[in-house]
Amino acid sequence: MSPSSHEGGIRVPGHRIRRFTRTALTALAALPLLLTAACTGGGATAAGTADGPVHITFWSALRGSQEVVDAYNRSQRRIHVDFQQIPAGNQGGYAKLSNAARAGNAPDVATLEYPQVPGFAIDGVARDITPLVGERLRKKLLPQALALTTFEGRTFSVPLDVEPMVFLYRHDLFSKHDIAVPRTWAQFEAAARKIKRAAPGSRIATFPTDGGTQLSAWAWQAGARWFDTSDGTWTVSMTDEPTRKVAAYWQRLIDRELVFLNSVDTQEGSAQVGRGEVFGKLAGAWDAGGTMSSQPGQKGRWRVAPMPRWDLEHPRVGTHGGSTFAVTKDSRHPKEAMDFIEWQVSSPEALKARLASGISSQYPAATGLVPVARKAMDTSYFAGQDIYSLFRREAGHISGQWKWGPRMTATLRIVQDRLARVGEGQGTVLDALRAGQRATMPDLESLGLNVREGSR
Amino acid sequence: MSATTVPGTGPDAGAGHGTGAGIRPATVPRERARHTARRRQLGACAALMTPFFVLLVVVFLVPVGGAVWLSFFSDDQPGLGFGPERTVFAGLRSYRAVLSDPTFLAGLGTTALYCLLYLPLMVLLALVLALLLDSGAVRLRRTAQLALFLPHAVPGLIAAVIWLYLYTPGLSPVVELLGKADISIDFLGVHTVLPSIVNIAMWSNLGYNTVIFYAALQAVPRELTEAALVDGAGPVRTALRIKVPLVRASAVMVAMFTLIWSLQLFTEPMLLSQATPIVGSRYTPNMYIYDAAFTRNNYGLAAAASVVLLAVTVALSYGLSRWSNRTGGAARADEEGTR
Repeated sequence: MSPSSHEGGIRVPGHRIRRFTRTALTALAALPLLLTAACTGGGATAAGTADGPVHITFWSALRGSQEVVDAYNRSQRRIHVDFQQIPAGNQGGYAKLSNAARAGNAPDVATLEYPQVPGFAIDGVARDITPLVGERLRKKLLPQALALTTFEGRTFSVPLDVEPMVFLYRHDLFSKHDIAVPRTWAQFEAAARKIKRAAPGSRIATFPTDGGTQLSAWAWQAGARWFDTSDGTWTVSMTDEPTRKVAAYWQRLIDRELVFLNSVDTQEGSAQVGRGEVFGKLAGAWDAGGTMSSQPGQKGRWRVAPMPRWDLEHPRVGTHGGSTFAVTKDSRHPKEAMDFIEWQVSSPEALKARLASGISSQYPAATGLVPVARKAMDTSYFAGQDIYSLFRREAGHISGQWKWGPRMTATLRIVQDRLARVGEGQGTVLDALRAGQRATMPDLESLGLNVREGSR
Repeated sequence: MSATTVPGTGPDAGAGHGTGAGIRPATVPRERARHTARRRQLGACAALMTPFFVLLVVVFLVPVGGAVWLSFFSDDQPGLGFGPERTVFAGLRSYRAVLSDPTFLAGLGTTALYCLLYLPLMVLLALVLALLLDSGAVRLRRTAQLALFLPHAVPGLIAAVIWLYLYTPGLSPVVELLGKADISIDFLGVHTVLPSIVNIAMWSNLGYNTVIFYAALQAVPRELTEAALVDGAGPVRTALRIKVPLVRASAVMVAMFTLIWSLQLFTEPMLLSQATPIVGSRYTPNMYIYDAAFTRNNYGLAAAASVVLLAVTVALSYGLSRWSNRTGGAARADEEGTR
């Protein structure tokens, strides 16, 4: 509120404004934000008539969704999907979905990324679809992926893709400097040192200050359990033993300036890759396609390797990225919505339609579709490397202990706010995680959940 | 408000009535005339005050009541929270959560620091500018006044966008110019971002507050300044010893409104948070409230934080006015003593 609303309060010296009026003015000015839920025009479900198709609405920010919907609408006449492209989740897509659900007009089918599934499930936006997910579909999906959307035996969304973390690296630069591609984290650190020495302006990779999900995936790989639900309570331990190991590792690399320390999902980060200053990227399998699109000039120079391991005997990885589909509480046709979801995640036609819209190296959660994805992928960018076979092996190593928390967007945002300060020389990686946990606890407590702190 | 002091008139006017009634026994018709006069006065008063009270109830008391109500209830689900919701009385749970949340307390701290920087700077600069305008030292007074006031007409969001452009390295001509002079400055760094926000607020509101002071200075009786001139006081001395004490009440008011405005800091940091991660999602209490409601979908927490912020604001405003009354009274007593 600007002070201009108090123009009437100008006083001539010597006069006294009555205390009551003054208090009232004070109070008026102190009026905090009115907490009114913004209503967005949502796609209310149109009821299907006896002779026409059932209409269901679908919101997604995923590229190629329109093509998938068109293919689905062409493939049968019983159900018609009305598609609406919405902004990406963190750019307003999730707020739009929450507000629509609050107003009672959420779409039948919504797109959620894995970290946001428990939050929308707790808020009652994502419907419990356990009875609708048939055994046939269940068997098609990678169990670790389905486990991420299932809580207390109840499934809240169906995975479309699951993205094991891999190491994308510049084959030309590694061979030019005669440096072996690291297979373990110890080798990664050694290689980082060699690279810094051989090419002082370059680094092996960037520690992403905007990478809450990357940091999560590294902790996940090491066996961390940030949010454990095993005994009916959310046990929050964002600084457990495995996480401390990971945080200390990266802190050492940061302190010795063996990695760049900046945001990666920005122009700056992209320019770093474009100038050839980073030898590698640590990201989900999807980023193979992402790199193809963003750095077309570096064709033939990139390869994909497994994520470095802590223990070569017991390979484990975390995931970075991936989307799921949920049926919302407002859907009047959950069966039909589920039919569309099943087709979207498990039919070759759907995947073909999606891939036709542009380059993508997503790894389908329905692993039977991998041959389709492999066939659609022109891997000349990676000098013909069979990247999908590598993805398939890595997907098998996805560690199954991980659960995302109930307010992951906010939790990761706090971590990233702090990581940005680490970039400015304030605090450590572990401090950022600790701050994330501390800022999450009051929130979960005031939601009335059973919650306790595991480690501090 | 007692019945004897008629609203709308000053306490001195009321006192005049009272002494008249006490001394002389009043005749009946005169009494009646006074009654009708008073009734008419009360009626006018009621008519004039009603819109205020209606607005007070509709846009303040009802929403505040709503926020307080909201802060005591919660849609709970037992256990992990995946079951059906039921609305329960949560008591002070949300308040405990807010007050134990380090991000909320850090937001309060940031705001306190902001106030310490902004409040004295604003009051002093606005006062100095108003005195300059009033002294006639500034030529083209009207133009100067307009130029000062104009930024206030720019909505806060637009102002923030303009300044964001001027702050962002790679975009900003200012940063570029300074760079050419071998001065590298990051306006959006850990230590510089708060002064940068203060700067935006100064730019927006300085003119407005200058106008308030200027209006108050216009009411300073010319005889006083002329007398000072005759007594041999120069313009600076006149300004400091005559004018400043007489616009003290305005200074308190400017300080109070600036304080209230500062406690609700939102637009500028919200916009800067899109450009730099140094300004986090819960940088100020108001941003915390917004984040709680719209990112975390935690309306109970947002409501509790709003009520806490309101309480802090009311307490600080009350404290400021009490302090100014007391020191004002002391200053007056001082003056009387020396006389």
